Amino acid sequence: MHRRILITGASEGLGLELAKHYLECGDYVAGCSRSAVAIEHSNYSHYSLDVSNDDAVQEMFNALRRQGWSLDALINNAGVAGMNPVALMPPLAARRILETNFLGTFHFIRHAIRLLRRSKAGRIVNLTTVAVPLHLEGEAVYAASKAAVESLTKIVAREVGSFGITCNALGPGPARTRLTRNVPAEKIEALLSRQAIPRWTEFADVLNVVDFFLRPESSMVTGQVIYLGGVSA
Amino acid sequence: MNSITEELVLTAIRNLNLARRPEDQLQVSPSAPVFGPGSPLDSMGLVSLIIDIEELLFEKGYQVTLSDERAVSQKRSPFRDVPAMVTYINTLMAEHAS
Repeated sequence: MHRRILITGASEGLGLELAKHYLECGDYVAGCSRSAVAIEHSNYSHYSLDVSNDDAVQEMFNALRRQGWSLDALINNAGVAGMNPVALMPPLAARRILETNFLGTFHFIRHAIRLLRRSKAGRIVNLTTVAVPLHLEGEAVYAASKAAVESLTKIVAREVGSFGITCNALGPGPARTRLTRNVPAEKIEALLSRQAIPRWTEFADVLNVVDFFLRPESSMVTGQVIYLGGVSA
Repeated sequence: MNSITEELVLTAIRNLNLARRPEDQLQVSPSAPVFGPGSPLDSMGLVSLIIDIEELLFEKGYQVTLSDERAVSQKRSPFRDVPAMVTYINTLMAEHAS
């Protein structure tokens, strides 16, 4: 049975890899990003939008509905980071991080619940970060936005349980994506040294946990946050 | 318009009842309470009902969100009984059409 999976931030990084992977599995994937489509595939549809714009998100879901889509999984991957000590963080940049990471996740969950109810095994997976439990200097706003995502995850899990939908979060360590491109090497080394397994997160590490959350057998796993690399809350 | 909307609300209640225990069935009548005194519907049940009604409206070409700012700020809940829901939905549909 091929699933219908929605992935936000699907034009690069982990989101792009996840989209390609599930298309290879034969699933149908709807992706979105601010940038243009990065995948050409008959089972892929792309929507160019800003996840923080609820009207645009609503229009994407209307389009999916018109195409008769139900939804088996929502993967909230879209995110932005900004490394700055609080004293130097521009308020507009802080707002942008919160709107994309938290409100973007909220918008997609809110609309997706309606389509996920039609699935026998509806799944929501939100991306968080080890920066939340590690309380890293310079990442206050980014970590706070993801801490909000973690709270959202745990409460949504309770609210959608009766619909047969699970909601979980995955917190990778540093991965070689746009988010870490401008982080100084010594910062990354310091972060890795605080992990039990001090290496970069690879796509396969992320995929392993996302697959676990998506499995029909994981119907009792909900409201959980799994960090990679041996970081504990 | 009233009778069409009323039938839509009652259809959604009937659908909801299919998934509810015999002792938790909601009344299906034009004057039935929906949420609050006299109704066994809890808040998550109301969520389910609202989503069902939104879906039925969408199928009829109306893209309306029942849980907007006005719904949560009204002194008397527009979800308290079938007549209040019908009136509220008709208002939203008229705005959608204009």
